[in-house]
Amino acid sequence: MAELPIWQYDTLFLITVVLFGVTALTMQNLMSAAIVFGAYSFLMCLIWTAMGAVDVAFTEAAVGAGVSTVFIVATIYNTGASAKPRKPRVGFKLFAGAVAVATGAFLLSALPDFPAWGDPQSPVNSTVAPYYIENTIRDAHVPNIVTTVLADYRGFDTLLETAVVFIACIAIYSILRVDSAKSTVDEPDIIAAPPAYDPTDSLIIRQASRIMVPFMQIFALYVIAHGHYSPGGGFQGGVILGASVILLCISFDLKFVLRQWTEKKIMLLTALGVLIYAAVGVACMFMGGDYLNYNALDPVLPGDMAYARYYGILLVEIGVGVTVMFSMIGIYIILASNGRFKRGL
Amino acid sequence: MEYIAYILIVVGLVFFLGTSIGLLRFPDFYTRMHAAGKGDTLSTVLILAGCIFAVASQGEMSWLIGLKILLIINFVFIGSPTATHAMMDAGERAGAKPWKKKGGDK
Repeated sequence: MAELPIWQYDTLFLITVVLFGVTALTMQNLMSAAIVFGAYSFLMCLIWTAMGAVDVAFTEAAVGAGVSTVFIVATIYNTGASAKPRKPRVGFKLFAGAVAVATGAFLLSALPDFPAWGDPQSPVNSTVAPYYIENTIRDAHVPNIVTTVLADYRGFDTLLETAVVFIACIAIYSILRVDSAKSTVDEPDIIAAPPAYDPTDSLIIRQASRIMVPFMQIFALYVIAHGHYSPGGGFQGGVILGASVILLCISFDLKFVLRQWTEKKIMLLTALGVLIYAAVGVACMFMGGDYLNYNALDPVLPGDMAYARYYGILLVEIGVGVTVMFSMIGIYIILASNGRFKRGL
Repeated sequence: MEYIAYILIVVGLVFFLGTSIGLLRFPDFYTRMHAAGKGDTLSTVLILAGCIFAVASQGEMSWLIGLKILLIINFVFIGSPTATHAMMDAGERAGAKPWKKKGGDK
């Protein structure tokens, strides 16, 4: 499959995919949009197959074209101004159960075809994995192979994953953010009136979080920086950092956190993380290497060639951490304040 | 050393079992939280203390692992009762009624 020239076979598909995407977005009827979106996913699945990524194609077919379409159609059916109670239909439930059991049995029947656990001849263990295992220490001085694969050998993947986190954050903002000045809907009572239960009353909660938060943040920085040696890295450390600030939001007040982290700061810092990651790649290009090839940064970073990759990984992990931390905080605040970004739970 | 670890972990698991039974069998919110808060904290601490003894013979850096586990114990000790307190407080303000014995006074 890999020998097929992409521009002959796939250009048609790529154009059609873009057309489907635009159509799905411009359609007025939600149901038709959902169907077109399913077709879009199916075409993507064909493209993955043509590129030799059959596993991704399977996932796209099952999740993108199959389950997502079902979920969207079910949501369109079941949402409305008023919900009407449904009577549970035993026959339908039995039918659904039978379908689930049959699918499960079908999948289990494929189980004997899997290669044995740890089989050195299996495709997983015989293609790129030995290279990673043998060369990680020499290439980057990083004992944790997973970190090297994530941030160095597969740096493009992780860059785009970080971008996905950022885009998800933007999407949540664009859907849930309410401009109080323009809004014609009154603020819900839960926001307008102080909540009946105010955790700031409790000395115990406040003092405990006062003790915990600094240590959580130190631990998060440790997780980011120690990702080279132990499980950890930007995503995990960023989540812990975000959780520490969310704990402050809960145990003190949303206003208390918003004094330091205004909406503008949070959004800018969410974008900054992706920017750090991408900028490291661009810096590599300026230093004469390929995009995200940290070896090119050798002249400006201490240590030998391998340490350039070591520090390059650290830099992109910091970028990931910043993005994840501030998207967590932003998403929490926008949910807790009903999109007003002022007061809240 | 290892036997101390086994004993601590087994005792912790027994307390965990008590926690689960209490969580399922107690009649109201407060007693269930009582079981969950106390039993959960003690059993976690006991199991982690057992882990300290279990790693004590794992080479020369084992004191560092032990120290990390000790820190975890410290934060479980602070965090778990605080969370229990916060949930109790919220439950009381939300109006959870304490359970009364049938035919008891009032």
